[in-house]
Amino acid sequence: MPTKTNDPITMEIIQNSLQATADEMFAVMKKTAMSSIIYEVLDMGTGITDAKGELACSGAGIPAFVGVLDKAVKVIAKKFRRGGDIEPGDVFATNDPYYGGVTHLNDIVVAMPVFMAERIIAWTANIAHNSDVGGMAPGSLTGAATEIFQEGLRLPAVKIISKGEPIRSVMEIIKVNSRMPHVLEGDVWAAIASVRIGAKRLQQLAEKHSVELFENAMSQFMDFGERVSLAELAKLPKGAFKLSEEQDDGRVFNVKITISDTEFVVDLRENPDQSTNPLNASRDGVMVCAQMLFKSLANPNSPANEGSFRPIRLLTREGSVFHATEPAPLGFYYETELRVKDLMWRCLAPHMPERLAAGHFASLCGTFIGGIHPDTGRQYTIIEPQLGGWGASPHRDGNTAIFSSFHGETYNCPAEINEARNGLYVDRMELNLEPGGEGKYTGGRGIVMDYRVRAAAGFLTVGYTRSKFPAWALAGGREGSPNYVRLIRRDGPSERFAFASGLTTHADDVIRVVTGSGGGCGDPKERNRAAVEEDIKNGLITRDRAREVYGTE
Amino acid sequence: MPNNTIRVATDVGGTFTDLVCFEIDHSTGESRVIVAKSDTTSPNFERGLLNVLAKGGVDPSSVDFLAHGTTVVINALTERKGVKVGLIATQGFRDTLEIARGNRPDFFNLHYRKPIPFVPRYLRRELPGRMSYKGVELKPLDLSGLPAIIDDFKAEEVKAVAICFLHSYANPIHEQTTLVEVQNLWPEVSVVSSHQVTREWREYERTNTVVMSAYVQPATERYLSRLLAGLREKGFSKSPYIMQSNCGVDSLGSVAKIPITMVESGPASGFWGAAELGKLIGEPDVLALDIGGTTAKCSLIENGEVKIKTDYWIERDRTSAGYPIMVPVVDLVEIGNGGGSIASVDGFGKMRVGPQSAGAVPGPAAYGRGGSQATTTDANLWLGRINKDNFCGGEVVADMAAAKAAIDAVGQKLGVDADEAARGIIRIANNNMVNALKLVSLNRGHDPREFTLIAFGGGGGMHAVALAAELGVRKVVVPVGASVFSAWGMMMSDLRRDYFVTRLFDLKRGAAAGIEQVFTEAEERSRSEFAIEGIEACRIEFLRYGKFRYQNQEHTTEVLLAAGRITDERLAEIEASFHETYEREYTYRLDAPIEAVGIHLVASAEVGKLTMKKCDSTGAEPETALKGHRDVDYAIEGIDRAAIYDRGKLEPGMTFSGPAIIEDPSSTVVVHPGNRVEIDGYGNIHIYLAA
Repeated sequence: MPTKTNDPITMEIIQNSLQATADEMFAVMKKTAMSSIIYEVLDMGTGITDAKGELACSGAGIPAFVGVLDKAVKVIAKKFRRGGDIEPGDVFATNDPYYGGVTHLNDIVVAMPVFMAERIIAWTANIAHNSDVGGMAPGSLTGAATEIFQEGLRLPAVKIISKGEPIRSVMEIIKVNSRMPHVLEGDVWAAIASVRIGAKRLQQLAEKHSVELFENAMSQFMDFGERVSLAELAKLPKGAFKLSEEQDDGRVFNVKITISDTEFVVDLRENPDQSTNPLNASRDGVMVCAQMLFKSLANPNSPANEGSFRPIRLLTREGSVFHATEPAPLGFYYETELRVKDLMWRCLAPHMPERLAAGHFASLCGTFIGGIHPDTGRQYTIIEPQLGGWGASPHRDGNTAIFSSFHGETYNCPAEINEARNGLYVDRMELNLEPGGEGKYTGGRGIVMDYRVRAAAGFLTVGYTRSKFPAWALAGGREGSPNYVRLIRRDGPSERFAFASGLTTHADDVIRVVTGSGGGCGDPKERNRAAVEEDIKNGLITRDRAREVYGTE
Repeated sequence: MPNNTIRVATDVGGTFTDLVCFEIDHSTGESRVIVAKSDTTSPNFERGLLNVLAKGGVDPSSVDFLAHGTTVVINALTERKGVKVGLIATQGFRDTLEIARGNRPDFFNLHYRKPIPFVPRYLRRELPGRMSYKGVELKPLDLSGLPAIIDDFKAEEVKAVAICFLHSYANPIHEQTTLVEVQNLWPEVSVVSSHQVTREWREYERTNTVVMSAYVQPATERYLSRLLAGLREKGFSKSPYIMQSNCGVDSLGSVAKIPITMVESGPASGFWGAAELGKLIGEPDVLALDIGGTTAKCSLIENGEVKIKTDYWIERDRTSAGYPIMVPVVDLVEIGNGGGSIASVDGFGKMRVGPQSAGAVPGPAAYGRGGSQATTTDANLWLGRINKDNFCGGEVVADMAAAKAAIDAVGQKLGVDADEAARGIIRIANNNMVNALKLVSLNRGHDPREFTLIAFGGGGGMHAVALAAELGVRKVVVPVGASVFSAWGMMMSDLRRDYFVTRLFDLKRGAAAGIEQVFTEAEERSRSEFAIEGIEACRIEFLRYGKFRYQNQEHTTEVLLAAGRITDERLAEIEASFHETYEREYTYRLDAPIEAVGIHLVASAEVGKLTMKKCDSTGAEPETALKGHRDVDYAIEGIDRAAIYDRGKLEPGMTFSGPAIIEDPSSTVVVHPGNRVEIDGYGNIHIYLAA
């Protein structure tokens, strides 16, 4: 029987308000940020945790950031656990994966305790990719890093605002360590504005309904998340599933997933040692990948919170690539996370094709281009993930040109804005027509984008995977096409790259970004003839190739 | 001068065509209002319009001013009933329309479906030629391939051609040249280029906008010309005005060229009405709320000004990226919560209200037409807020057994009785609407306590007070004729055009001349455009807004600039007002350089709008309007014995207190305990909430 403290309608209203608050925090940050990777790419996330740091609710943004904030808040709460360590108006920051930062040093998590009468009732937090946090290379990301110290300033879960007043010395240290100090400062303030607005809304909510009701609503929301997950878990095929997969760099990754009525166990212990290049991931980060895949499998439409992730158990080995230890570098952690998420996905897809489509281009295709803007004389830095093709499923072709599964409500940069802001030309941006991804249902297309450099001396850094082994197919479909960058020098020679750090570029060099098609699903010979004709009419495939692959006349 | 003036607003909706007619007798000062409704006659909509005029007894030859609103554009888009469009793009960019922005809002869903472009790849063609972002030609336009493209389009039975070239917002000459050549090669085809629709950057948004404009153009042109022919045949001799999404009206000829600007004209007229009403009654800061059958829409009006933006999308929600339409549209938030919204409880005991709606068929359970799911209307009825003995103005006998069964079904899943379930439905519905109102106020740095809530639409008065209480709003106004308020707004509209132009400047000494020039150019353009409508330059009023940001930011903050030339001396004042506006919205300011990204110029001229006159009071006591009493459940405050007033008998100057219910055939106003009600000189209901 409902009582005053757990009346289902009031619970629902508070939970809706939590969601509205997380969304508002997201909107504030998006609008005020200074880095295009935040405001355009929306490489950011917002969330609300309970007093202990358990995730209650998350805003829009990218799925890979949903499970990050709780882990950061827990580290902060533990570090500042003595009485008086945390006071109303305080704001904390961490960017260090060895101190709750989960991802890499570019991503700064900002968190604020929400107080009601001397007591913390919740935390508001956000995470965003900052354009430059120092380190050995512009943009802070470089394949050349062998230790985390080379990847930028480390903020090991520290207080940046005390009782509402910025701690000037800390702010100055953060600022002076960046090659783009004003941008970093603006972005950190955007993050602070976002957690402050969130905290204010939560206080109003608790004042209106009482702290007790507020806390009940949060914990019931998490329990609801768990019930949804368990209900869906019960519908999944049970058993142990295994997969070994060779990577572009020759390493072999292994996974074993065991599904029971109550647990989703991901065993990644049998994997290579951490490396001295920045393709390592933290255990927390790998947990986020397991959470992402599980959420997609179990119930993509229900809220994502601590409860919805409760059935997951992750086994890793300390010192391995999926559980890196200090001082291993983690700059390109996201490619490793994408690989491990794709590994889990591929491991399960053949057993549940209705829930999981064939492989997608599955790389962030992180592209970093910089130099001096020839019209303004100011430094510009492009930091962008790319769009690519998604895999086919048993009843449908894959999507064309969307961001990888790591991203979500993420936007590419319009050519018109790119040319104005960065002082280069975008000569074309079109669908990639390289063969691949054919099937009864075809993989979606990737893109080809030509950047023509105008600056006299600039740099190019890229980190693409699925360049040697393209997107995997399902049920007899063809695999997709590879991701790569081709640097075409003004005077003719060209070279193909998947990983490159700090290449020097010159005016009129063309940087060609090519992303792959997703994998096909089903035997191409079974593809509907009208669909093949349409593909030919749309110029997506030549008649000759159609004859060869689809067996059409 | 004739001794009477007749103004007519007509609104073609999906189901009904509405008419509101104001006739003012200048000799006596008396005014007469006619309201009529008839069926919408798709696809020959003009017949429905003539029908409703006839039904209302309005002779078109006697009409002095006619404003017309229609959902024909939005319907053609959402029902995919436009024509086959061919697109001509810059070489290397034919796929922009399909690539779109690459976002996936439903990010955990691996079965997400990207919206399908309105033009398939084989009808997307390219021409060489490039402009820089500064509008300088980098590569000349080469039209040699155009005849072949046109031949292919003809062979594919394309009916409209859209042109969008990179950076045409900065220099449209390539688009203009191509447009002329398309017209030469193929005079019969409908053709439109992107700079005619928008002068802002972002090629995907601009391409999609011009494609959608082309897509609806032939049908809309036909619609408008038939409308005019029909009116002319019946003797109407003036120029009809067409309602636009920017809260203004525009001439039929101008709208026929770029019909996409009508896309959100329905809600726009209601919000404009709220702004005008606010000015009339001395409430310039307004939260406007329109509650209909399936959705609720809200917008914030500050200092009498509606906010117009070009960031409008259709079919965009948490599960779909939707399609952008970069035209001036009133800034509104719409949620799936109206009178017909269905309450449901999922397998985990969580209740939702909307966005599914019972619509008109089967409608709420209480309609007795087979609807078995509880709706907001059923809950309002069950709690005594709606009069069960006079349901839908007495046209429908409320099927209370069906309503109870539907509400009970909800209650059983929650473990509560029907009363508690009905209260829950109202509370959840109210909470959804409160969150929407917060999006337009709190989330944009406005304190709702400083605003007056003007509520209209069929359900506005039912929920307004509860929402106001939740937001701390002190006063609610339910206008006279709340259910046809949109039509009233149309009659209050000016001829209005919003010009958005992207142009970059560092806001520092030396920039003023350039910024002034962009404004001057836009003003010149608007003067010549208004001249075509027969409006002299002196009648045009301009409002200048600058779009600014801190250097390196992307999103801009719009700042209203004081009238007068922009000079370097004035830049400090402009800077200061940007910092101030920015800080109010985002809680902090920066000591960073400021950039101007473009302008927003509003040009408007009065074209015969209605002047409202106060009515006289007979001095009757409010008791004369009292119909009786009944028990009303206020959901949160509990059950009270409420006085029931007949809205038709309320007179200016009457005052009374809640708990009360005010009824007329088309709507119900719920007055909560402790509220004080005042009827103003125009017949609007002012409800003061207890402080």
